Amino acid sequence: MVGKDCVAIACDLRLGVQALTVSNNFPKIFQYGDVFLGLTGLATDVNTVSDVFRYKTNMYRLREERDIAPRTFANLVSSSLYERRFGPYFVSPVVAGLDPKTSKPFICGFDSIGCIDFAKDFIVSGTASEQLFGMCEGLWEPDMEPDALFETISQALLNAVDRDALSGWGAHVYIIEKDKVTKRLLKGRQD
Amino acid sequence: MPGFDFSNYNRNAALHARGVPLPKATSTGTTIVGCIFDGGVVIAADTRATSGPIVADKNCEKLHYISPQIWCAGAGTAADTEFTTALISSQLELHSLSTGRKPRVVTCMTLLKQHLFRYQGHIGAYLVVAGCDPTGTHLFTVHAHGSTDKLPYVTMGSGSLAAMSVFETQWKPQLSEEDAIKLASDAIMAGIFNDLGSGSNVDVAVITKDKTTLKRNFIRPNEKSAKLQSYAFPKGTTAVLNEKVIKKNDIGRYVTVEEVPLDEEKMDVDT
Amino acid sequence: MLGRRHSESGTGAWGQVFPARAPNGSLLDCWTFKQAHHRPRPQQDDNSSTSTTPTATTTRTIAKMEVLLGITGKDFTIIAASKAAMRGATILKTSDDKTRSLNKHTLMAFSGEAGDTVQFAEYIQRNAQLYSMRNESDLSPSALAHFVRGELATSLRSRKPYNVNLLMGGVDPITGKPSLYWLDYLASLADVPYAAHGYAQYYCLSILDKHHHPDITLGQGIKLLNMCTDELKRRLPIDFKGMVVKAVKADGIIDIEFDDDKIVKSA
Repeated sequence: MVGKDCVAIACDLRLGVQALTVSNNFPKIFQYGDVFLGLTGLATDVNTVSDVFRYKTNMYRLREERDIAPRTFANLVSSSLYERRFGPYFVSPVVAGLDPKTSKPFICGFDSIGCIDFAKDFIVSGTASEQLFGMCEGLWEPDMEPDALFETISQALLNAVDRDALSGWGAHVYIIEKDKVTKRLLKGRQD
Repeated sequence: MPGFDFSNYNRNAALHARGVPLPKATSTGTTIVGCIFDGGVVIAADTRATSGPIVADKNCEKLHYISPQIWCAGAGTAADTEFTTALISSQLELHSLSTGRKPRVVTCMTLLKQHLFRYQGHIGAYLVVAGCDPTGTHLFTVHAHGSTDKLPYVTMGSGSLAAMSVFETQWKPQLSEEDAIKLASDAIMAGIFNDLGSGSNVDVAVITKDKTTLKRNFIRPNEKSAKLQSYAFPKGTTAVLNEKVIKKNDIGRYVTVEEVPLDEEKMDVDT
Repeated sequence: MLGRRHSESGTGAWGQVFPARAPNGSLLDCWTFKQAHHRPRPQQDDNSSTSTTPTATTTRTIAKMEVLLGITGKDFTIIAASKAAMRGATILKTSDDKTRSLNKHTLMAFSGEAGDTVQFAEYIQRNAQLYSMRNESDLSPSALAHFVRGELATSLRSRKPYNVNLLMGGVDPITGKPSLYWLDYLASLADVPYAAHGYAQYYCLSILDKHHHPDITLGQGIKLLNMCTDELKRRLPIDFKGMVVKAVKADGIIDIEFDDDKIVKSA
């Protein structure tokens, strides 16, 4: 979700096999330098894809001697997913970060075969995506300050996952600003 | 040529057999049109991307750059239109660099149809190719299975019927540029309002012998009305169990960079 | 070439130990293919095939009947596995040990398709041992868990993937922190405070949800384990013939005497 000179990315913490919850501490947001990647979908692919991009961003950093920029990373994600057009990873990623030069917020989402969805307001993904669409569409406003952005994304997420039996069990929220990142663990329903 | 990686294919087929639903690809259930006029060609598209019944993107770009004087409107699987046009654009650029000639629309259309035919329709790209080259003005449609058409006015996508009804009632030969833009955007508007797979705004690209003009969001008939009141939550609404702040400056405490003076003695180097 | 992973995964350059395929493995497959091209392979639970043979379904159900439990506490991780080795409706053995120790402070328990389980576990065990010998230091439980996941994920994309579910328990030799990793046959990896595999999940996780605490002592951990096995004896339709129980502590893996003969009255 985009705010004024800041972006936020949040995830729930459940890992389950259909109706059975296996873990309630399974974060789905990964940090690569200054870029954040959220992954929803099949757990094994969340693991694999997050490892693949850790490898790719580390190699990028060694070659270029700088961190990868969000937009560059988004294109890397897109082409990596499209390479598997006919045998995709079952994930729908979300990328968030601030442009290293202009400090402008950048967010985008992808389908499982790498089609980028650039948005200027918010991106949702996962089993509760329909609920999240509703929440975000109603709550999001342009130019929110970091504190307001935190409340908005948190309430959008918490209330959406409460209407999804397959999501929830707590949440992680990252508020990304130019010179600092705030990570918060939210109190969520445990049912 | 893209080398697709099929290593997940068997696993996914096995997962699907065990009841895991295959993920939905974003598709551009779309209205795209193209129309030739005196001295050029215009193509137009709506800006809605869908995933099943969900509007995935309210303002996406369906007009793809191929070369300065050739543009493509895409319908079908969004990722396929995006990457197929990017691939052909790259091949065409290299081709024109090696031949020293401007790329031609027929070349573009042929590359596209050969690529799509090879994949037997599995690459779900439905395209309207338009442009001006040294041989004149051209307008084609390319279907995912590799068939092509050459017509003075074309429509594609789920809104093609609505758009075609506009062309069939209002098109006439030797249109002026303004009339062609009006006609194409009216056709898109018909798609936006009568086809559920199409919506939001109208994008237009006008290509003439001399220049190309991309009119992004040429018409915005569906502006979201401003919220009259705010749902903003006061600070402290959300219960937080744990908080960690990482400041960029703090990282400097753990990493120090020192300038090392260059060594006087030269290193041994194999000569 | 018997070692299928050698040719397919390309990890040979790392100098890993490669498993030889069991006699009824890939070699036999080749024969089946050569002799009758279109004949289905009835004994194989082939993931890549869309039709499920009756044998395959039974194998999966049996795998789910196998009990694997893991519990972490203050300074230990308990790993418990059922003693019954099953084949169809028969119990072949009542003293099966479904665990392998990877090094001094990491223990792995496994369930799944017969053959695959031991083959995979010992393959991992030997690579872990090889690493310890070469580097004169052990991999941490976390490093091993991620290595195992990598191997399982590679196998998942091969012609015949391993059908193995795993629990990996350990105590980090440096920090002294206990850890438990849950892995399923799809190579999903999760770091958890307590875990189970198979039908046992449905009975035990709820008990552990209610009673588990990260600061419990080994004695309390065993009590928790007893609550779980009691419930399993009450609810599971087959006798799983008691449990092999081991605990990983900072100074090594210890076998724990477990009363398998305790009679549990049905509720």
